[in-house]
Amino acid sequence: MTELVQQLVDGLGRGGTYALLALGLAVVFGVLHLLNFAHGELITISAYVVYWLSSYDVPWWALAPVCVAVGAVASMGMEVVAFRWVRNASPFTLLVTSFGVAIVIQGFFQIAVSPKARKYDKPSWVFDTWEIGGVRLEVADLLTIAVTVVVLLGVVLVMQRTMFGIALRGAATDFDATRLMGLRANRAISGAFGLSGALAGVAAALILMRRGDASPTMGTDYMLKAVVAAIIGGLGSLPGAVVGGLVLGLAEVAFRSWLPDGIAGLTDGFVFAFVAVLLVVRPNGLFNVRSAERV
Amino acid sequence: MLEVAGLSTRYGAITALRDADLSVAAGEVVALIGPNGAGKTTLLNTISGLLRPVAGCVTVDGADLTRAAPDRMLRAGVALVPEHRRIFRDLTVEENLLLGGVLIRAAERRRRVKELEARFEVLARKRTVPAGFLSGGEAQQLAIARALMSDPKLVLMDEPSLGLAPVLVDVVMQLIADLRASGRTILVVEQNAAKVLEVADRAYVMRTGEVVEEAPAHELATRTDLFAAYLGV
Amino acid sequence: MSRVARPLAGGVGIAAAVLLAGQLYLAAGGNDSLLRAALVNVVIVMGLQTFIGTTGVLSLGHIGFAAIAGYTTFLLGASEQAKSVSLSDAPWGIADLSIPAWAATLAGMVVAALVALVLAAALARAPAITATMITVSFLFVVHAVGTNWVELTGGSSGLTDPGLRLDSRWWLYVGVVLAVVAARLFKASRPGRLAIASSEDELATAAMGISVAWTRAVALVVSAAIVGFGAGLKVQSLGSVNVKEYYFGFTLLTLSMLVIGGKRSVTGAAAGVVIVTAVTELALELAGENERLGGLPDLVLGVAVIVIMVARPKGLFGDWELDDALPRSRRAPAPPPAPPVATTEAVLTADDIAVIFGDFKALLEVGLTARGGEVVGLIGPNGAGKTTLVNVITGLVTPTEGRVDLDGRELTGRPPHEVARAGLARTFQNLRVFPELSVRENVDIAVLSARRHRSSRPAPDVDALLALAGLHDRQDQRAGALDYGSQRRLELVRAAALRPTFLLLDEPTSGMSDAESAVMIDHVRATARSVGAGVVVIDHDLHFITTICDRIYVLDQGEVIAAGSPAEVRSDPRVVAAYLGTASSTAPKAPPPDAQVSSRS
Repeated sequence: MTELVQQLVDGLGRGGTYALLALGLAVVFGVLHLLNFAHGELITISAYVVYWLSSYDVPWWALAPVCVAVGAVASMGMEVVAFRWVRNASPFTLLVTSFGVAIVIQGFFQIAVSPKARKYDKPSWVFDTWEIGGVRLEVADLLTIAVTVVVLLGVVLVMQRTMFGIALRGAATDFDATRLMGLRANRAISGAFGLSGALAGVAAALILMRRGDASPTMGTDYMLKAVVAAIIGGLGSLPGAVVGGLVLGLAEVAFRSWLPDGIAGLTDGFVFAFVAVLLVVRPNGLFNVRSAERV
Repeated sequence: MLEVAGLSTRYGAITALRDADLSVAAGEVVALIGPNGAGKTTLLNTISGLLRPVAGCVTVDGADLTRAAPDRMLRAGVALVPEHRRIFRDLTVEENLLLGGVLIRAAERRRRVKELEARFEVLARKRTVPAGFLSGGEAQQLAIARALMSDPKLVLMDEPSLGLAPVLVDVVMQLIADLRASGRTILVVEQNAAKVLEVADRAYVMRTGEVVEEAPAHELATRTDLFAAYLGV
Repeated sequence: MSRVARPLAGGVGIAAAVLLAGQLYLAAGGNDSLLRAALVNVVIVMGLQTFIGTTGVLSLGHIGFAAIAGYTTFLLGASEQAKSVSLSDAPWGIADLSIPAWAATLAGMVVAALVALVLAAALARAPAITATMITVSFLFVVHAVGTNWVELTGGSSGLTDPGLRLDSRWWLYVGVVLAVVAARLFKASRPGRLAIASSEDELATAAMGISVAWTRAVALVVSAAIVGFGAGLKVQSLGSVNVKEYYFGFTLLTLSMLVIGGKRSVTGAAAGVVIVTAVTELALELAGENERLGGLPDLVLGVAVIVIMVARPKGLFGDWELDDALPRSRRAPAPPPAPPVATTEAVLTADDIAVIFGDFKALLEVGLTARGGEVVGLIGPNGAGKTTLVNVITGLVTPTEGRVDLDGRELTGRPPHEVARAGLARTFQNLRVFPELSVRENVDIAVLSARRHRSSRPAPDVDALLALAGLHDRQDQRAGALDYGSQRRLELVRAAALRPTFLLLDEPTSGMSDAESAVMIDHVRATARSVGAGVVVIDHDLHFITTICDRIYVLDQGEVIAAGSPAEVRSDPRVVAAYLGTASSTAPKAPPPDAQVSSRS
């Protein structure tokens, strides 16, 4: 029983992080129909900023908001430098462009810093555990879940209560009608990228406090997880992205505990195989998001 | 108030609008009738800034707004109620109205939403309902109210009676008359010529991308050969 | 047989150019292992091109096929003593098995192709991005298995057998020639051409009687085999295999080579390999010994990809192939009109069709009959349901109720490509020619389909059909570059080339001027007579409709409100009301005093 609770918390912790990343992807996809494979690089960028600042002994409670800001700025920067120029291109071109951006960022950090991982100090309390109701739970997990819940609530508030959120949702529903309301396309899109990046920044802070190192290629795995989570829910659905992230996190933990020890390393493999099967059965994701095409 | 001269717009490989001339004086209701594919929607979309013309000019109260983007047109007091309404189906009725006022300061925007909800009773009742669940007639009212959020002096309407039952068409026509009574100017595109000619002052007839005729509405309404004339039968 | 000769010559030429570049590189003091890697990459990118370049689907999983084939090649081909080192615990007695390298490579290709068959089934119903994600999952799973199944794969240390290493580069040269020629021939083959059509416009391709899922499956299997071949060569040029080399880095590298050169072009893909190899080599030289600057090739590559996507998304070579430079045989002049084919006796009926989406009744109790030799019109105001009815008949929409019948054969709910194969060819309201293909190539797609699926009907003379449309002298022009009227007529010719029993035309004169519509009237009549098909046509131009139709159905708000001859329909007050609306019972209001009374001069 205790193990179940621990795994649940573990799964929700991971899932929360994936949900934040997937949500960022979904926000941009809703407005631009672009699946940004460079999204994971936002974590890389935050990681190197953390590495740099931690050498100046900047405390972690300050590093976290820095991650959020870096994520937002870097994401909007990607849009201005690359995605704005391919805005009305085919989905193929958009995807490949995002790959280009990812490769550039990876190459940049290899040159600017090092191809090897660079370590920084994790917060001292990260591996502390608390005992709650007789179960030992990691502080980091609890913090992740708490932060994720707060941030998601914040996103819901922004999307439902602010003009910014309403405009983004409108743009995702009907971009041209939103233009007709007088909203400039560039502002809507920059806003989407900014929000997306901020969410990635929160996820980065949560990931980096556990990780302890920065390397140029670290973004790839996170990108994969985020993309998969967004697709599970159904691209373009914001709640779908959150559910997808949670499902992915829980599936990871479930597979890891269910698989016999020898092939525990295959967890990710099983997860992806499971995802592939899901996509075959429900090509439009769990929430069956479909876009109509006029004949 | 509105002067359109020599306006031409291409749409992909098609010249959807050819050398269109049109004018609307302040306080008028002018109808634009004609069969499908005549270019009426293209004309309104070009005026409102969604499409860019390849030739010609659009003037509003003397200001050249030919290539103006939609936000400039809204600030100039021109709002479009688009074809098929294009309400934001995933947003609630109230959010639709709010988005219609995205360019307006927050306090004023809230005031106008309250005003419009008072004016359009069904919208007040269904404030929190996602717009996709509205019936055709309700959606049309929402689309019009949304356009009114910017307090336009010129309202462009594209086929407001599309898909509506006859009794609801009457409601829409009455709305148009009310809008004129409150001092606004209307340019309305319609396939339902008979109904719109009842409420309009003047009408232009379009066919295959060109404006082919212009006359007072009551004159066109009595023309028994109208069907033959403008549908080219 | 210039159908095969040109692409064959092209393929050989491309391969020769690549090999020449390689020789020049060596002569300039180049590095052998780099050349080997580049030659292997050419083969692998040819595999990518065969799928991505034809179907247009972005697969990120092909390197997964490479991994599978590479390991198969190694496991079957390595010497027993090499295996005893790391594979002593391998399952299935692999440690004791050793077959000649060529057989092992072949085995790798076969295994890759079989896996591709399974993956193709998974991709059948997937829309574009989901398909890409399924391929990503595939790559990931292969990588995970490769890293973890240490007994079989040596895990992240990989497996080595120096004895497997090819001494000479000759096999690589042969491999390049074979792969390039195979890719070029595939592009010119029936499945290749159909795949390209499906990447231009999936709906239109299905409407031509082609199963897009099947076309993609063929392309995937062929491409997996070529990639597998490349992997076998890679294993033998290195003498080792390691799952780490078959993951994202290599995927992005090969993908970049493909898109920079031009994914649709085999010449471009090959050139892309050469260019990217050269550029990354230069970057590495600039980096020198500096470990950090080892990131320079990535940086340069990434920037190159972005620049190409922004400035020239079709790639440096676009659609161009080397064999396009070969002189074209002159086209025969337009033939005289062929004698018309006997009119079909078939009868097309739609009975009691209802299409209901939730609350919205798009169609209710709608019926229609059409016979060979007549032209049936379908008119009605905007939103009446005309296109929906045609969509139901042609299989794009499954009706909630009702039945579609062609000569006693039920077509209700069958997918579009089956309906097309049964004899219903259509054109689209939004004009769906294949814009990047030439006029002739557009029509050839229908011809290819009809040859296989409509062989019982007589084949129309395509040249005569093109001449009828005034397109014969422009048949090598890009369809997208034609004027609008010509594109519409092309769409009709393409539909006619399908040997249909019925042509269903959705607003063929939409966007046309009066003059163009008049031309269209003649064209529709002549074409229908030419292929002996009945016609059902939707349009708003009532002049067009009343001139060309024998019978007309009038739809309004999803129901048939009138049916009859043009004269009857024209004078039917219900039809007039549907189009013009009905005046209110009150007398028309008097004009307001300040209304302007001016008339257009």
